[in-house]
Amino acid sequence: MKTRLIVIVCLLSVGFIAVICKLSYIMLINHQWYAEKARMQQVKTENMPTKRGLILDRKGRELAINLDMGSIICNPAEIPESEAQKVAAMLSSITGKDTRTILTKLNSDSRFCWIDRKVSPQVAERIKNSKIKGIALTSEVKRVYPKRSLASNIIGFVDIDNKGIEGLEKMYDKELTAPTEKIIAYKDAKGNLLSKGEMREIKGNNILLTIDEGLQYILEKNLDEAVKHWKASYATAIMMDPFTGEIMAMANSPSFDLNNPGMIKDKKIIKNRGITDCYEPGSTFKIIVGAAALEEGLVKPNARYDCSAGYIEVGGRRIKDAHRQGVLTFQEVIQKSSNVGTIKIGLSLGKERLYEYAKRFGFGEKTGIDIAGEVSGLVRPPEKWSGISIGSFSIGQEISATPLQILRAYAVIANGGLLVKPYLLSEIQSPDGATIYKTIPVARRVLSEKTAKNFNMILTTVTEVGGTAKEASIEGNQVAGKTGTAQKYDPLTKRYSKSNYVSSFVGFVPADKPRLALIVVVHDPRGHIYGGIVAAPVFRKIVGDALSYLDVPPDDLKNKNILVTSR
Amino acid sequence: MNGQCDRQILFIVFALVIIGLLAVYSSTSVITPELAEKQNGKAVQFFFLKKQLYALFLGVLLLLLLSRVNLRILKICALPVLVISLIVLLLVFTSLGISVKGATRWINLTLFSFQPSELVKLAMILFLAWYMSREAFKKDNFIYFIIPIGIMGIFQVIFLMQPDFGASISLAILTISMLLLGGVRLRFIGGVSFIALIAFTALLISEPYRLRRVTAFIDPWEDPLRSGFQLIQSYIALGSGGLTGVGIGESKQKLAFLPEVHTDFIFSLIGEEAGFFGASIVIILFCLLFYRGILIASKMKDPFAYYIACGTVLMITIQAIINFSVVTGLAPTKGLPLPFVSYGGSSLLISMMAIGLLINVSRYQESNALSQAEKIIDDKTLVNRVNHAKNIRNWQRGLGYTRCKAILCDQELFKKTL
Repeated sequence: MKTRLIVIVCLLSVGFIAVICKLSYIMLINHQWYAEKARMQQVKTENMPTKRGLILDRKGRELAINLDMGSIICNPAEIPESEAQKVAAMLSSITGKDTRTILTKLNSDSRFCWIDRKVSPQVAERIKNSKIKGIALTSEVKRVYPKRSLASNIIGFVDIDNKGIEGLEKMYDKELTAPTEKIIAYKDAKGNLLSKGEMREIKGNNILLTIDEGLQYILEKNLDEAVKHWKASYATAIMMDPFTGEIMAMANSPSFDLNNPGMIKDKKIIKNRGITDCYEPGSTFKIIVGAAALEEGLVKPNARYDCSAGYIEVGGRRIKDAHRQGVLTFQEVIQKSSNVGTIKIGLSLGKERLYEYAKRFGFGEKTGIDIAGEVSGLVRPPEKWSGISIGSFSIGQEISATPLQILRAYAVIANGGLLVKPYLLSEIQSPDGATIYKTIPVARRVLSEKTAKNFNMILTTVTEVGGTAKEASIEGNQVAGKTGTAQKYDPLTKRYSKSNYVSSFVGFVPADKPRLALIVVVHDPRGHIYGGIVAAPVFRKIVGDALSYLDVPPDDLKNKNILVTSR
Repeated sequence: MNGQCDRQILFIVFALVIIGLLAVYSSTSVITPELAEKQNGKAVQFFFLKKQLYALFLGVLLLLLLSRVNLRILKICALPVLVISLIVLLLVFTSLGISVKGATRWINLTLFSFQPSELVKLAMILFLAWYMSREAFKKDNFIYFIIPIGIMGIFQVIFLMQPDFGASISLAILTISMLLLGGVRLRFIGGVSFIALIAFTALLISEPYRLRRVTAFIDPWEDPLRSGFQLIQSYIALGSGGLTGVGIGESKQKLAFLPEVHTDFIFSLIGEEAGFFGASIVIILFCLLFYRGILIASKMKDPFAYYIACGTVLMITIQAIINFSVVTGLAPTKGLPLPFVSYGGSSLLISMMAIGLLINVSRYQESNALSQAEKIIDDKTLVNRVNHAKNIRNWQRGLGYTRCKAILCDQELFKKTL
């Protein structure tokens, strides 16, 4: 029996030796490899939590902020296959997501997946209480726009990973995004960090806009009303400080809720149409012709033009006035927006100078506003003009421009001859409020001060008795501006549409000391087409509200001398 | 009956228990949120250590008790103990049973829970020792061979119902080894092993998931997230330990990476924290225990004592080797604790009792050496003793009687022998 004991001893000894061998193979020979494996799973190089910078209006009011939201994550490895169906059904009932989508996630081979991100507090609470193994809640930062649709086209929005994908969120993504800093810490298998003390939050820079929340609201409210009233397809308005180029408000109607960009069906309404869409400016372009003639010394304000025929033939095309006029002075040509008179002025200027002035006023080139998607519009060089082009060009056809370009041309008149560069970003501030960057207004002279002043006076007559836009006049302050009514070019028939018009009014107020320049463009109004009837009242309402908001005193206050005595 | 108990064995066991307590404390003192939740938010830093210490206290008492019980009483008890262990084992299927992760292996004794499969092993040793040491036992007779196999079969069926493959395998190896030592015919053992192997293979193939789990140890990376996960984590723990380890208490794998780190996979934690050196010390301690135990057993003349010694030593050693093999990926993963080291009161208690029995028989042998001398001295021993006595006499002449008791003892023996 001794031999059997020896055999058993030998066998077990072999067992001990085998274990020692395997142990040295794992622990000595492959030590480096396993140590690396251990590091990979035990050490967590985690990004410090970051918060995107805020977007503030010119007075520091918040337009885009961050909220901490719960996100549901799961570790599919922890959920047994047998229970996956049950868990999926439960999650589906809480989150409202499709059971099958959740089930595929639960059965995936990874160790991490999102079930639902940035859920409402109620859903988060229910997940927390349900205590399903393998399902956990994590905190994520959600970008929230407290003013919902306000300035939606300007602000833009972010994707689920808080990366800007539209508007200023995209334009200034680099400034708004917090710099990533990594933290190295040990963690347990559930991902809990063992050293949380070093964590701190990193914030991105805040950006301060030139937009004024109040003015933006006034603009949007009135624009929405106008679109509804005129059953228009859409409308655009931009309000700018004519001296600096600061965009005080810029809106489209219809707009969308920034907190739910996924709900938008028509992607066109995301576009910032004030800069991305061109249209033929029509009569609003006539000021270029007029200002050029004045600047060149071709006319005096009281020069006379015979418009009694009611039409003029250029290159075989007969261009009519909307209403037949008699003999008009230069001033009246603009005031009454006579096509015949303007074309006559245009003819006396000639192709080259017309083109040159259009270019000088910034048409056919981008304004350089700091938001993505701007188009330059189209101004064809004179070589490519046909016989009728000079006539069309004078009255704002055969040229396409963005509303912002038109507004900028009017700002030239308002500010005494300077072409400004519009901008939206006023300042970049560090998270603690220190100014890092401040935009300095840029402008170049395109018109003499005298011409601008003279033309300013002419534009004030437009809103006076006898002008095309009496509707645009407001009580207390003189409005300088110009109507525009343009037929839309129909790409199907390759003709100007008989039913679709663009009605616009552009101007500035108060005329003698402008505080704001505003353009209102209504596309496809129904019922009336004239800028003086459709757009001018919108202009009046906006300007009326805006001037009160800005606390601009009436023009005649000084004349009546009541300011000092009555108070 | 006043023979010395074997101090070496006691020392080895003491060392293993201390290592075990350190490892259990290291692996359970870090409060992971999951464990805290299990304990209803109670402070769990010393929770496991305390329970282990209670079990150790009880274990030491039982060790002392069993080391002093007369072997005749043990012989009488052998069969009743086996029956009791069977009844206790069946209790897991009653309302007393506790199910953990789909396995019903524990019974709830209000104060503590107990794993009867551990008791079964010890009862089986006692039973086989008694059974094979009986005069009536005929090792060439198949009937005498098949009875213990049948009894083991009953236990195996219950183990598979629980299921507890670890206990099943270790009981099978233990029983076969003891029958082998008992001198039954090799072809009996070969035949039964062959049938068992076929049955086992059939059982595996019938359930593909079982086969996958069993074969996962060959290449754990094939399914690193499920069946291979535990073994990979064990590898990472051991491998990152390297030669000298990451430091006592510094294990990172215990942070919920390595499942069952405080019980079946405690050896990985030792390897991670104390490195190859520390792990080797544990293995060497088990080796020493094994050889020391076998040495004691080989000196036994009384068959019952011989079988008891062999059985207890084999039980502990087989469990240790299986546990080492599982942890190092030499054998498929199954739930089997490392004796003395792993957390778990039942295992510690039974291991301590086994050591108690071993010490008992070691004393039995020494104290009975004199009285049995006349009876069983064979020629070879006689010649040895005479030579020894001569040596002593020579030595006495040169150096006097200053050595120790053993020499005096030998002197008496010498007188008697001559």
